[in-house]
Amino acid sequence: MKTTIQENEKVMVAVLEGRLDTAAAAETGKALAPLYEANGRDIIFDCNALEYISSSGLRLFLGVLKAAKPKGSQVIISGINDELRKVFALTGFTNLFTFQ
Amino acid sequence: MTEQRNPHTELLLEEYRQQLPMLERLEQQAYQLLAAALKKQGIELNSIEHRVKTEKSLAGKLELKGEKYHTINDITDLVGIRIITFYTDDVDKVSVIVKQLFNVDWQNSVDKRKLHQLNSFGYLSLHYICSLRTDDKEMAAVKFEIQMRTALQHVWSAIEHDIGYKGAVKLPPDLRRQFSRLAGMLELADDEFNRLRTTMSEYRRQVQALVKSGHLDEVPLSTDSFRSFLEINPFDRLNQRIASVNQAELFRTSMMLFLPILEDFGMQTLGDIQTFVEQNSEDAYQLALSQLAVTDLDIMADSVALQNLCLVHSLKQGRGIEGLTYIYNTINGRRDSNRTLAAAILKMAESLPFMQEITK
Repeated sequence: MKTTIQENEKVMVAVLEGRLDTAAAAETGKALAPLYEANGRDIIFDCNALEYISSSGLRLFLGVLKAAKPKGSQVIISGINDELRKVFALTGFTNLFTFQ
Repeated sequence: MTEQRNPHTELLLEEYRQQLPMLERLEQQAYQLLAAALKKQGIELNSIEHRVKTEKSLAGKLELKGEKYHTINDITDLVGIRIITFYTDDVDKVSVIVKQLFNVDWQNSVDKRKLHQLNSFGYLSLHYICSLRTDDKEMAAVKFEIQMRTALQHVWSAIEHDIGYKGAVKLPPDLRRQFSRLAGMLELADDEFNRLRTTMSEYRRQVQALVKSGHLDEVPLSTDSFRSFLEINPFDRLNQRIASVNQAELFRTSMMLFLPILEDFGMQTLGDIQTFVEQNSEDAYQLALSQLAVTDLDIMADSVALQNLCLVHSLKQGRGIEGLTYIYNTINGRRDSNRTLAAAILKMAESLPFMQEITK
């Protein structure tokens, strides 16, 4: 699992590549830490190369969402494949995020 | 070119410059005290503005009526706070809080709302001249102004200022009549908004009482009634049952997005929703089970029960893939992938007993 953070004045992008399973969650969580300092900038999870997400991965997304929303950031999930979208739909989480 | 001012004005301006740092401290202290107290009382405001008068603005005022003031402390609006409420009742509540927090100079405070003669016009606010209760004697000696008004009074004041009308100008009767009509309309609108709020609060209380007493058939489905209904956690049992499939944690989320779907199903009362829950719970559980049992997902939103109830109900109504797509479009926002999702759910549902009953 590889996580890269890119940022500019308006947006922070987390590019996720590989399988976000329980084993990878701790390390990915550390890599996502800068997103907690978005301070109102929008956050994009670039999931074009994300192959799998477990509950631990969903919790990471939710953690970022909970920290970002009160500060006015929008959390956008971009490029997610149909299988992963199904995971979000099954768990009822699709309406919490904005999908692109 | 240097502006020539009379010596008295220049003297007052010099006093102002010396006091400016203290005025800025006073402005912050008064504002923070007030903002904290209003927040504590839960009074929702349109806005709260605060400022120290600029030197330019003060110079303008002194040019016009400088002789009225002996010292800088005779000017009571060097620091000003303006509180704009949504409702007229809240102006009175704010005024009580102001009286509790500050010393009010009653001789110079005016309730302009009560100043109108029968044949006058305008739409005015409540002004208190206050001072801070503090051990800092210099600061305690400075008076400041707090204006309290509704949003509509504020609109009136802003437009009046823009038009350039001040009460002293004699206007022709037809213009006076236009002003009076507008002022009357705004005052009436303010009263009506106030009354509407009281009526809405009463309606909410009645709905809550009916929901609590279980008389759900008597409660029409609306945004308010659905919100009250959610407070009794009508989907909790099914949520717990679904969560137990993977010993999942339930994450609280809003279920208001589902209201248009329930309305689209033709539900008219909360009783209809209760019947919908009773009639579809077992099948909704089976549908959720078929989706979740093959995963290790142990976190889900607490809308999962309602979502599955809606999917099942739509399928039972024979709406097929179009009905499922409509549900996903409503809760997720319209996008092409919702149809793919609907197709996957439909395929899963086809093996369940309730679908086989339908297709018999």
